[in-house]
Amino acid sequence: MAIKIIISILILGFLQSCGQENHIRTYQLDKTKAPDTKPRVEVPVIQSTGFSWAKPENWISSSGSSMRLASFNVPYSNGIGDLSVIQLGGTGGSIEANVNRWRRQLNLDSQSLSEIEKEMVDYKGGLGDYKIIQIINGDLDAAFLCAILPAGEQTLFVKLSANPIGIKEVKSTFISFCSSLRISI
Amino acid sequence: MNLQLMHAKGIINFLKQPKIFVFAMAWMMMLVLLGTLAQKDLGLYAAQNKYFSAWVTWFWFFPMPGGRLTLIVILINLSFFFFNKSIWRIKKLGIVILHMGGILLLVGGGLTAMFSSEGNMVIEEGAQSNHVEDYHFMELAIINTSASNFDEFTIFDQALLKRNQILKHANLNFEIEILNYLDNCEPAKRTSPAGIQHKGMLKNFILNELRPEKEDNWNRPGLIYKISNSGSSADGMYGIFLGQPVSQTLSINGKDYTLILRRKRTYLPFSIELLDFKKTLHPGTDIPKSYSSDINLIENGVVRKILIQMNEPLRHKGYTFFQSSFIEGPDSETTVLAVVKNYGRLFPYISSIIMCIGLLFHLSQKLPDLFRKSREKIAA
Repeated sequence: MAIKIIISILILGFLQSCGQENHIRTYQLDKTKAPDTKPRVEVPVIQSTGFSWAKPENWISSSGSSMRLASFNVPYSNGIGDLSVIQLGGTGGSIEANVNRWRRQLNLDSQSLSEIEKEMVDYKGGLGDYKIIQIINGDLDAAFLCAILPAGEQTLFVKLSANPIGIKEVKSTFISFCSSLRISI
Repeated sequence: MNLQLMHAKGIINFLKQPKIFVFAMAWMMMLVLLGTLAQKDLGLYAAQNKYFSAWVTWFWFFPMPGGRLTLIVILINLSFFFFNKSIWRIKKLGIVILHMGGILLLVGGGLTAMFSSEGNMVIEEGAQSNHVEDYHFMELAIINTSASNFDEFTIFDQALLKRNQILKHANLNFEIEILNYLDNCEPAKRTSPAGIQHKGMLKNFILNELRPEKEDNWNRPGLIYKISNSGSSADGMYGIFLGQPVSQTLSINGKDYTLILRRKRTYLPFSIELLDFKKTLHPGTDIPKSYSSDINLIENGVVRKILIQMNEPLRHKGYTFFQSSFIEGPDSETTVLAVVKNYGRLFPYISSIIMCIGLLFHLSQKLPDLFRKSREKIAA
């Protein structure tokens, strides 16, 4: 009986050792532009809100106000930005009114529509054409990156509040997010 | 000598008993049932680990054989079947072949369990990739970027990222002590002032531990670690998390390092370049109907154009690349290929054929007897 037990233990020990591997590895690779830490965007998930989007992997869902369709904490190198998605009926007010409201929140003077349009950049995404504007107040070290996305009889407003460095760092991810917004069926 | 022979015979007689197979199979069926039910609460991967990949499965405080141990017992039992002298006859050949097929199936399963790997490859249009990222395991990559033409990587697997573990290597002129590994966390802005020991991201942030999600890819792992014995001001406590937008960099005694917590990478002996990603949606919805990736497979300077699409994977050098998902960007699209390396891939096919041959052979030998008995019964 003892021999049977010893043989069984030896067999198990051998089999267990088969799965062991070296846990430290070293290698050299040719220089790359930068370590690959680009945040990955997840696959679109249909939300119960009537819209779907692809959330970047490092964005953290946060609890916003009831006005908000979605809220995220957006980490960057020296802070966390606050991103909100708000849905309003119709056009949700004119571009001029909305942009100047955001400018006032940053203690900046209002601009005319022509001045605003010069700063707006057009993009194309899941909801069709949309516009993005960047508003920075260097004195306050505060900035907004805002997108206005017409969606049929409604308009979505995506606003990221961060400092100017943060806005610069997460701008491409912000655009990816806005482009991924679409109507869910 | 005779005593040893008797012992050996005793062991063989014990291990070849058919009742071991019957009990082990019954237990395996039970594990399959329990594991399938547990997937709902534990998630697929955790249930697989608990019931099928484990040597021992704990039911509250009771240790029971896990799937791996049970299948090993079945394998040993089937192998010892060949010690039966009575089977080495032409009449039993079908049964022998059947057992061989069963053993081959289990060996294939063992190879898959021990050596197969799975992950994904993410490639943006116009870009190339030569590595696969694991779905489940992390690694801490310490990259010495001091040289002008290459980067030197020192990689510590997740198995080493345990509390109080000291990480050191000849490539590094400092030590890392793991203070905490968080399976799931979220960075939050620090509300109280940082201590003098806090460095890097921890000067402004803390990592809040979250309850791990069912599926590993929903988690954001994080690491709190201490750098010591660097002989520089870099000594201190640091934090890092998966997907950190800005990597932690250190300059220690003239050498520059970048530290990244990332999904475990396996480098391939070839590269894949994404030429174009195509997606077709069901009309009027955002539900994909089909998607495909036009790729270049680049190996030793030779470029081969291939199309990977749903249900038509690329198989190359033991790796299988399935079209799994995609990411939409503002200017370009990114493909996500699920990559599987399975050394035991062909075993189920081969063993099934062998078992079929065994059964047919056995049946062909038994049929005349069955017909004879049937005729005798009718005659009687």
